[in-house]
Amino acid sequence: MSITVTREGNNAVISIRGQFNFSLHRQFRDAYEKFPPTTPMVVDLAGVQYLDSSALGMLLLLHEHCGGEKSNITVRGCNPKVAQILQVANFKKLMKFL
Amino acid sequence: MKILIVDDDRINSTILNRLLTRDGHPVVTAFNGRDGVALFKSEQPDLVLMDIRMPLMDGYEAARQIKESSPNRFVPIIFLTAVTDDEGLAQCIKAGGDDFLTKPFNRVILQAKISAMERIRMLHSVLQDQKEQLERHRDGVRHELEVGQHLFSNIVRTGNLLDAPCLNHWTSPMSLFNGDLLVASYTPAGGLHIMLGDFTGHGLSAAVGALPLAELFYGLTAQGFSIGDLAEQINEKLARVMPTRMFCAACLIEVDYRQKSIMVWNGGLPDLLIADGQGRLVRTIPSNHLPLGIAPMTREDRKVEIIEMQDDYRVFLHSDGLTEATNIQGEMYGNERLLAHFGGHTPPDQLFEVILEDLKAFREDAEQTDDVSLLEVVCARAGEEPPGGSAPRSRKDIPPAHWEMAFAFSAATLKAVDPLPTIINALMNLQAPEGHRERIYTILAELFSNALDHGLLQLDTRTKKTSEGFLEYYAQREIRLAALKEGHINVRLAHTPLADGGELRVRVEDSGSGFDPVQIQSHLEGNLDHGGRGIALVRTLCTELVYHGNANIAEATYRWTSQ
Repeated sequence: MSITVTREGNNAVISIRGQFNFSLHRQFRDAYEKFPPTTPMVVDLAGVQYLDSSALGMLLLLHEHCGGEKSNITVRGCNPKVAQILQVANFKKLMKFL
Repeated sequence: MKILIVDDDRINSTILNRLLTRDGHPVVTAFNGRDGVALFKSEQPDLVLMDIRMPLMDGYEAARQIKESSPNRFVPIIFLTAVTDDEGLAQCIKAGGDDFLTKPFNRVILQAKISAMERIRMLHSVLQDQKEQLERHRDGVRHELEVGQHLFSNIVRTGNLLDAPCLNHWTSPMSLFNGDLLVASYTPAGGLHIMLGDFTGHGLSAAVGALPLAELFYGLTAQGFSIGDLAEQINEKLARVMPTRMFCAACLIEVDYRQKSIMVWNGGLPDLLIADGQGRLVRTIPSNHLPLGIAPMTREDRKVEIIEMQDDYRVFLHSDGLTEATNIQGEMYGNERLLAHFGGHTPPDQLFEVILEDLKAFREDAEQTDDVSLLEVVCARAGEEPPGGSAPRSRKDIPPAHWEMAFAFSAATLKAVDPLPTIINALMNLQAPEGHRERIYTILAELFSNALDHGLLQLDTRTKKTSEGFLEYYAQREIRLAALKEGHINVRLAHTPLADGGELRVRVEDSGSGFDPVQIQSHLEGNLDHGGRGIALVRTLCTELVYHGNANIAEATYRWTSQ
């Protein structure tokens, strides 16, 4: 399990590998907190096999950090299982999906 | 460090005593094993130096007794021995010795062994402290969980209609508390509200959100609010009290047996499944809203799915713990396995049990990782009362009195809110005839929705006769209500006391063009045709129902007697 942060132009890209669950809580927060709320965020889940509800909770914290409704968050690289979980939770209303 | 020397050899004892005293240790001495044990108990030393061969009781036995007498405290015992063979040393350790010192004594080795023991002793005492702290903490947590569970079950269970004949439900708690919450209650108009909620996380943190949720669910349902209203208000409350990362995936269902309708609001729970009389899947309702407690709701977020109910329908709802249950191989139960039961080969009345059995067989002994809930609504029995009857409402009796209330609702108000709960609550606070609430609500609701749907929105009930028409009716209703610019509905309630109760007169007037009086009868029949609710029902409840004007004014008289 690991989180890496890179820049793509203006975007901050948070890439997650392995199980995205509560054990990544601190690492994930550290990853986004250093950026000002206006930074467009990309969460790359290509290395993630499965999400649990605590992962959804962490995405909500990111959403709040980035200003809630004003946030600019893109989630990409979801495998079908992960995409389905995000779809049932209707997170498309909060962030963009690629 | 207080040291006990147990040695019958006075010379040895004296040498040791002197060495240790010089290093600043307080020393007590015994000259045989029996006195050693007694002195150990009275003096509580921190370390024991023990000879082996002694009169009355040898060192092995004394060591055993000392270790036995202080199971929670680490008191190192160092054997003083002349033997150096493996056998002899092993016996020292077996008797509870922690180390040994061979005679004759070397001062440096003695000091080294004592400080090593002291370090171990310190470590042990820190460990012991931490263990006690953990135990206290664990007891505290358990106690709080018990208090929480008590509160939880009182608030959630009181008034919960989970024993309603039409409901089958199964929940498996994975910890003391269940993150899944299932509540059910009757609406004043006789419909049934059911809600399954799945909080993020488990245990106490999940159950905390269940308290406001259950209270709002019961309170708002009793007041006649719709599931869209419930979703909105619960959402607002949860968003306010719960931390950002917590939310509640939930599905609200309203089953109205008289209206023959099923309404569903699904935010974050797996597809709701509806099976027909052959046990075949006829409809799935996916989650199309965010879970509760995340973001403020818009008008769009309140939207509910409306399905025409057939008497043989069965509604199935589950939490994701069911499809995500894993077996020993780490494989998930999955949606395909669940849907496979809905192929028409399983008798519909066995579906519920078959699904649970299949899940159990699949999972075998694998550890449960999430809460699992399964709920079935048997529509055919949705009109039946639960065994104990509806929960009684305790309210003080208000003596019948003269009063009158009038409400006027403009188009703008009608578009924005459902005024019915407000009217009925005002009425109930003023008069509260025990046991008549449901009937009065039904009369008001029928006359009001007639005025709105047919008077102002010009909808034709006859459309509802076919399945397509049924859906079309609600679709049209929404469109026309959104487009409504003019018009009003006036409601007047007048109450007169009678000898043993009272008489309530309900007058509902709309600004619509009304109906051709000749067609009123067929209009009423049409209304009756679909589900038996409607004007005919009002007529059976009232002593009198008359229409004035172009049938745009309805006046109903309801007599009640105190029970």
